[in-house]
Amino acid sequence: MGSPRNLATRLLAALARYAPPESREWASAMLAELDFIEGDWPALLWALGSAAAIARHAAANCRSWLSNTKHPKEEKMESTGKKTVGVLSGAGLALLLAFAGMGIVQFIGFIFPDSGVEHMQWPHFLGAIVIPEIVFVISAIVLWRKRPPVALGILLMGAAIGVHVAVHFATH
Amino acid sequence: MNLRLSPQTLLVLDAFLLHAEDWKYGYDLSRITGLKSGTLYPILMRLAERKLLETAWEAGEPGRPPRHMYRFTPEGLRYTRANAPSPIPDNLGRVALELGQR
Repeated sequence: MGSPRNLATRLLAALARYAPPESREWASAMLAELDFIEGDWPALLWALGSAAAIARHAAANCRSWLSNTKHPKEEKMESTGKKTVGVLSGAGLALLLAFAGMGIVQFIGFIFPDSGVEHMQWPHFLGAIVIPEIVFVISAIVLWRKRPPVALGILLMGAAIGVHVAVHFATH
Repeated sequence: MNLRLSPQTLLVLDAFLLHAEDWKYGYDLSRITGLKSGTLYPILMRLAERKLLETAWEAGEPGRPPRHMYRFTPEGLRYTRANAPSPIPDNLGRVALELGQR
């Protein structure tokens, strides 16, 4: 037996022994065919091609196994994680809108310094509280069915801002 | 059934269609179709996993390992006749010639 054929036999024998269980039968089938291949180099090429086929088969099975088997706890964690991200993104959006309202009021005061907007309380109240709170409520109602966590985040942040303003007015 | 009928898969199905009831060996299929083992076996694996091919081990001569054999299941034959286009004449001739030489 030439050394290329010897190498081919060893390679396929090793695959038939150590491949994942679902691929072993195929590796044994490829090994059995070696005896019928004329020439040492064609036998080696057969073994190399077979090894590639077994590797792809094992990888495909592994991918399929990973995508199909999720522990219930893992699924629950994934679901909780998604909800948390939804609530946080809703809260972040609400905060961003409140800051944007405040920024617009500041910007108007910067562009029209004579208007005295910067020193008036009601434009701040309107821009940073009233309008954003209305937007929060409307968007929470719209999003409640499709993305409840985001809607909840918006409502929570809206409530927090409302409480903050109430405390501010009560203490000043 | 979700099976990609690539030109290589069609070659293999063509080879199985001739004398469809006969068992066929991997190396013979490789010679008939001209496909290398790295291309042929993934196709055989897919066909077997989708129950289009049945497999069996043939008891070999003493001192030789048993050989793995393949042939259409009734479902595989129906599927191929219904879905695969008619065999390419050149390929059919080559397959017939190869099978005749065996």
